[in-house]
Amino acid sequence: MTTLDGQTTRLDPTAHARVRGQGRRGALQRSNVTGWLMIAPMVILLAIFVIYPLFYSFYLSTFELSFYLEPKFVGLDFYGYVLDSPRFWNSLWVGLRLAIFVVPLSMLIAFLLASFIKAAGGRLAAALKTTIYIPTVISAVVASVVFVFMYRAQGGLINGLLAMIGVGPFAFLSDVDLVLPAMAVPAIWLGIGISTLIMLAGMLDIPEEYYEAASIDGATFNQKTRYITLPLLKNVLLFLFVTGAIAAIQQFELPLVMTNGGPVDASMTPNLYIFDQFRDPTPFARSFSLTASLVLFVVLGTITALIFRLVRSDKAVDG
Amino acid sequence: MMRTTGRRLVSWVLFGLIIVTAVLPLAWMAIAGFKGKSEVVRTPFQFFPEVWRFENYQEILGDGEFVRAMTVTFIGAVIFTLLSLIVNASAAYAFARLEFRGKRFFWLFCILPLFIPGFAILLTSFVVVSSLGMLDSMAVLIIPGVASAFSMFFIRQFYLGIPIALEEAAMIDGASRWRIFTSIFLPASGAVFVVIGVGSFLAYWNAYVWPILTIQNPDLFQIQQYLGNFRQARGNEWGLLMAGSFLSALPLLVLVLVFQRYIVNGVRISGLK
Repeated sequence: MTTLDGQTTRLDPTAHARVRGQGRRGALQRSNVTGWLMIAPMVILLAIFVIYPLFYSFYLSTFELSFYLEPKFVGLDFYGYVLDSPRFWNSLWVGLRLAIFVVPLSMLIAFLLASFIKAAGGRLAAALKTTIYIPTVISAVVASVVFVFMYRAQGGLINGLLAMIGVGPFAFLSDVDLVLPAMAVPAIWLGIGISTLIMLAGMLDIPEEYYEAASIDGATFNQKTRYITLPLLKNVLLFLFVTGAIAAIQQFELPLVMTNGGPVDASMTPNLYIFDQFRDPTPFARSFSLTASLVLFVVLGTITALIFRLVRSDKAVDG
Repeated sequence: MMRTTGRRLVSWVLFGLIIVTAVLPLAWMAIAGFKGKSEVVRTPFQFFPEVWRFENYQEILGDGEFVRAMTVTFIGAVIFTLLSLIVNASAAYAFARLEFRGKRFFWLFCILPLFIPGFAILLTSFVVVSSLGMLDSMAVLIIPGVASAFSMFFIRQFYLGIPIALEEAAMIDGASRWRIFTSIFLPASGAVFVVIGVGSFLAYWNAYVWPILTIQNPDLFQIQQYLGNFRQARGNEWGLLMAGSFLSALPLLVLVLVFQRYIVNGVRISGLK
């Protein structure tokens, strides 16, 4: 909604007061105590439960923690252990593969759905938006349970449908090759509502005149998609791609409830591995787990920052 | 003429397909709850039960632990939602409209969590709440998540769009900042509060990892935790599990249907896109 954005800048109170001159400024602007009081609850809560834990994580990761002994300073030793751990690397690879199964397909579906909803318009569009949003409210636990039930060999809906066309049955969740694609289905199902709505909002921002002009020139739907919609949606697509990939790599509850990481670590995503290590009673598992979560955070954070930086420097070009 | 009829037909077919795939798993879950013990796992499957039985729903609703988990989670979610609206909206107002010393620093401080994935701090948050003695309490479920960078940012975007002229008039009449916040901004916040409020409610209701880390006392088990435990302990009672899962999702489905207009337009209310 560009108009709202426009208003945003226009209504910036600072800019406004500047225009109005110094006289009003005191009355409208300075209110230290009120300001501090109003942000205090948020600042204090974030300090205790987000910011402090973050720094504390980095601090703790340089110690050997065990239940029996005093913590011992070990510097960056655990970072070495994490980077040397084949199971950690395997979990990253699992997360990445899950992202490959989830992200492109869900973006494609969201794009088709959004195009369809936009073309439908009116009441149909409203009904579709609500329907497509419904899976979003379902918890990962419930989705896991339902999909485990649907994937069953006995009485499972999916194997039942496949049997009608003469294939299967497949043991989706206990097959090393099938488990990740099988898990991608509920992941896509849970996320498709939000992706579609974001995609749709992006499409509705594209001025209708562009399409009208293209129609006058005789452009087909495919040409309009290729030369108008996709280029102008670039930032939305990139946003969905990056956030989708990061969410998929960090997927945790689906593998925890559906397979517990199995069979033989084939669905052991990084966060599930970290979580398992944290609950592992063997000495130093906690330090290892903590450090692994920081390594993952730094890796994903860096990738995200790099991608968004690339886009931002690009913006000037297509803007 | 032919062409529009054809297109309309295609539209309706697609429409039907979308509805089916979106709600099929939910329908399958709800209907499985009406099947008998052996019928529910029978091959080949039948979509509808031979006889609609209510035993599963009756049994799960007669299960004290299930009802308690639903109640406790509901109470927690309501308190959580109210607190998070108060905390985040007041900070959002201050950042949108007030000028105070340290604003830039505090802004960065409050927005930084947007870039910290929950999992990176999950384990140390657990260490923090256990050293504060908060384990096994409603407080540990509610308080750590109340302040949300995302909610605050979203509400602030909305406040930036409220015309400043209103406040100027009120200020001339001598209204205080707090007065302006409660009498102009809060009443205007309906739509954005619905979007953020429903989001907070969902986040609390659907939380699984945090409860299983911090809650051991069965009296405080949250609904997702209950379902997770049920799946581990009695995973073969599919009819019961499906009935319980469906009932656990029902409040959320109602919430979304009631507030659908606000929610599906939420992306746009924010003015973000």
